[in-house]
Amino acid sequence: MSYAVGDELPPFIIEAVDPEAMKQWAVFLADPNQIHLDVEFVKARGLGDRVINQGPINVAYMINCLLSAFPGGRIEKMTSRFLDNVYGGERIVAKGVIDAVEDSRVHCSLTLESVDRGIVNSASATIRLP
Amino acid sequence: MPDSDDLPPPPKVAGIRLDGTESYIISAEDNAALCRSTGIDPAGDGTAHPIYYYVATQVAMGKNVAGLCAACDFDVDEGPMMGSSEVRFSTPLRTGLPYTVSGEILGLERKRSRKLGVMDVLTYRLRLHGPDGGAALETDNVWVLPRRELA
Repeated sequence: MSYAVGDELPPFIIEAVDPEAMKQWAVFLADPNQIHLDVEFVKARGLGDRVINQGPINVAYMINCLLSAFPGGRIEKMTSRFLDNVYGGERIVAKGVIDAVEDSRVHCSLTLESVDRGIVNSASATIRLP
Repeated sequence: MPDSDDLPPPPKVAGIRLDGTESYIISAEDNAALCRSTGIDPAGDGTAHPIYYYVATQVAMGKNVAGLCAACDFDVDEGPMMGSSEVRFSTPLRTGLPYTVSGEILGLERKRSRKLGVMDVLTYRLRLHGPDGGAALETDNVWVLPRRELA
C-alpha cells in the first residue's frame, strides 16, 4: 500500500459517546472521578449537564483512526493535546492527514472533533509501516 | 495581565520519584473490553491497545491520581485537567506480560491564564518496563491544576 503527503485518513466515528464506557474506564484507570460518572456532580461544579469523557478515551479514538488507516503499522510516537472536554452522548469524529512519508514511516496530524462544537483534541503521530 | 512574578511560588516537586512497586499485567479480557469500549475489536496477535501506554503507567506508578495531586499541594476534587500527553514506544504492548513503571515529576510551573486564571502546570515522565527490564515506552504527561484560590 502506498501513501502520499496530503492523503486523508478514513475518519473514525463514534456515533454517541457512551457514559457506560466511562464507568468501565473509571475501573481501567483506577480513577473514580465523579465528573465521569455523575451528571449531578458535573452540574454542581458548573461543568455542564453531561458526564465528561476521560481524556485517554479521546486519545484512544485517534489511535483507532491510525490503526484503521495503517493495518499492521506500529505507532512509534504520538503527542496529543487536550483542547476541550468531550461529553456523554456527543457524536465524535477522529480524522487525520499525512504530513510526511519516509521509507518506512508516515507522519500524520490528527484531530478529534465534536460534530456540534468543533475540535476538542489534536495530535501528531509517527507510524512505522509493516 | 500581571505575570507570575507576583504569585507565591508553587511547591518544589521536581525530582519526586513515581516508581511503581507492583507489576501491571494487561489481561486479554481487559484489553478486549477496553478495545470494544472505544469502538474496535481487539487485535488477534496478542498486542494490546496502544492507549495502555497511559492506562498502565497511571495505574502502576507509585502514586495514584489523588496522591500525585497531593504532592503538588492540590486537592484532586478541584479538578485536574489533562493538557497534553506524549508517548514514545520502543515495542508494542502485549497482553499477559508483567510491566513495571519508573518515573519522576519533571516540574511544576505557576502561570496566569486568561481562560483559567492562576494555574500550575505539572509535567511528569513515566517509563513502562517489560519483563526484561527494558523500557517498552516513555511518556510525558502535562496536567493543568487550576489554582482558583490564587485568582
